[in-house]
Amino acid sequence: MAAPSAAGLSRRLRAWLPRMMPVRWSRYDPSYLEPEVNKELYQKPSEKLAEEEMEQMELKAVRPIKAAPPTLSSSVFSDPMISKFTNMMMKNGNKVLARSLMSQTLEAIKRKQLEKYHKAPENEKETIECNPYIIFHQALKNCQPIIGVSNITKGGKTYQVPVPLTDNRKRFLAMKWLITECRENKHRRTMMPEKLSQELLQAFNNEGPIIKKKHVLHKMAEANRAYAHFRWW
Amino acid sequence: QLDHGCALHTAARGCLSSVSTQDVPAERPRAIFHTNESDPAKHTEHHEGRLYNIPLEEVKAVFPHGLPHRFQQQIQTFNEARVMVRKPALELLAYLKGSNFAHPAVRYVLYGERGTGKTMTLCHVVHYCSRQGWLVLHIPDAHLWVKNCKELLQSSYNKDRLDQPLQASVWLKNFKISNERFLREIKTQKKYTWGKQETTEEGRPLGEVVDQGLARVRSASDAMGVVLREIKQQSHRSSFRLLVAVDGVNALWGRTTLRKKDKSPVSPEELTLVHNLRKMVTNDWRGGAIVTTLSQTGSLFKPSSAYTPQELLGKEGFDALDPFVPIPVSNYSPREFESCYGYYLERKWLQHEKAHTEDGKAELQFLSGSNPQQLDRLAGPL
Repeated sequence: MAAPSAAGLSRRLRAWLPRMMPVRWSRYDPSYLEPEVNKELYQKPSEKLAEEEMEQMELKAVRPIKAAPPTLSSSVFSDPMISKFTNMMMKNGNKVLARSLMSQTLEAIKRKQLEKYHKAPENEKETIECNPYIIFHQALKNCQPIIGVSNITKGGKTYQVPVPLTDNRKRFLAMKWLITECRENKHRRTMMPEKLSQELLQAFNNEGPIIKKKHVLHKMAEANRAYAHFRWW
Repeated sequence: QLDHGCALHTAARGCLSSVSTQDVPAERPRAIFHTNESDPAKHTEHHEGRLYNIPLEEVKAVFPHGLPHRFQQQIQTFNEARVMVRKPALELLAYLKGSNFAHPAVRYVLYGERGTGKTMTLCHVVHYCSRQGWLVLHIPDAHLWVKNCKELLQSSYNKDRLDQPLQASVWLKNFKISNERFLREIKTQKKYTWGKQETTEEGRPLGEVVDQGLARVRSASDAMGVVLREIKQQSHRSSFRLLVAVDGVNALWGRTTLRKKDKSPVSPEELTLVHNLRKMVTNDWRGGAIVTTLSQTGSLFKPSSAYTPQELLGKEGFDALDPFVPIPVSNYSPREFESCYGYYLERKWLQHEKAHTEDGKAELQFLSGSNPQQLDRLAGPL
């Protein structure tokens, strides 16, 4: 939910219209502020704060604050990408299972890399990356497509037109491919963390089925370059 | 055999004293939370909170079974086996060193909340005893004998009892690995007949009984019963000391989830393995000690908040084990936590960049509550 702008704040309560209760949008009054989770902000002495931050702090004394969603965490170890990925892995709202699978995956990656690290000779030790978070982020970055295709119907025929992708869409596609690949193309008895860790390590090294899928998409976009002018946005 | 008396280990490095690291090998100085003393007999309060190394060959010989699964994974990842020296273990070792073996065997029961380190303390004591040359009877988890058993045979020795060939043969295999030399030295004192043809004469080494149990899986439970009986009878006069180490002793008294062919429930005394083990855990023999652990994690029909001996053993078990020496095992003290955290950092187990900061350490301590198992689980993905 975006924070209401200054112009919106100067408005009083939203006009109450009979029989029109917003169901999907925010039920909060515009005067409510977002919760602040960053510990450093509160520990900074007041002289060092910039002007806007001083204003925000003063507002907090008078305005009510929205309830913090369960995904918002003040832990130093929380990572928004990992949370997003965990949410995409979740089925039927079983966040406990999804989170435990994610932590087992990270542990599996760490174990594999540490074993390789300890067996490697001295000069190669620096090249081996053991941090599962760095591997995860780099693997996702490697899997993100640069350009996508979308179906545009013109004159009765549907064409695959190359189209630029937003950052969010790229991230979503990378995560979706990763999860579907791990769910479908594995042996019945392999566990998800094991398969996921394998795919992440392969993606980190720019190899594996997901990178291939990305290349196929790029080739498709390149092949249909002629239809690029069909796009009107 | 090493004789300790009251000899204090002079090369102990405490953080108070500035003794230079004399017996450290010249490769690199180990940090303050390690100790080079790999013989549990020499561990004293100076070593409390420190981690000592067990060489990998010794791990394979002494612990063919018995180490927790996560610790085995850790050994494989770090390529070394480091066990922390903690207060309950030191207490137990002091009792064992000062015990009089002409008296009946004393029973020690390690109890505590989930994940506080009871099994690891037991393994520390088992390592000490095997270093001292004792005969170690280590049952890794008694709960495995009262649940999830695929094959239950009616015992040929006693019509009312039920045999468990698979569990008995697995245990015999591991017992053989850990106690090779004793199986050659101890001789049987009676003639035993297995089935129709095979017999074991009097005076044959006990290794033959074990081999018989492994070869003929149907008679494995009876072979195990014979082994236990022989060892118990010979412990007081022989040259060896006996340690009976049972993990999850509360499984022996209670209920099982096994059923007979006619779907009637099986009670623990109807199982040969449990029946023989109960005889071992009584204190009517001399020349050794019995160290046991209570465990709620594998237990059956016990609430998850139960951890005291009274709750987990029940009336029957408590009366059978009474009198015993209870030894509580608690969470990490601040010093032990520092030492564990430092070890994870040194071994590069904590990879997250925030885990190296003070904030990260405080968060780990808070989230785990200084519980060893929780700390291990939290530090896994980090």
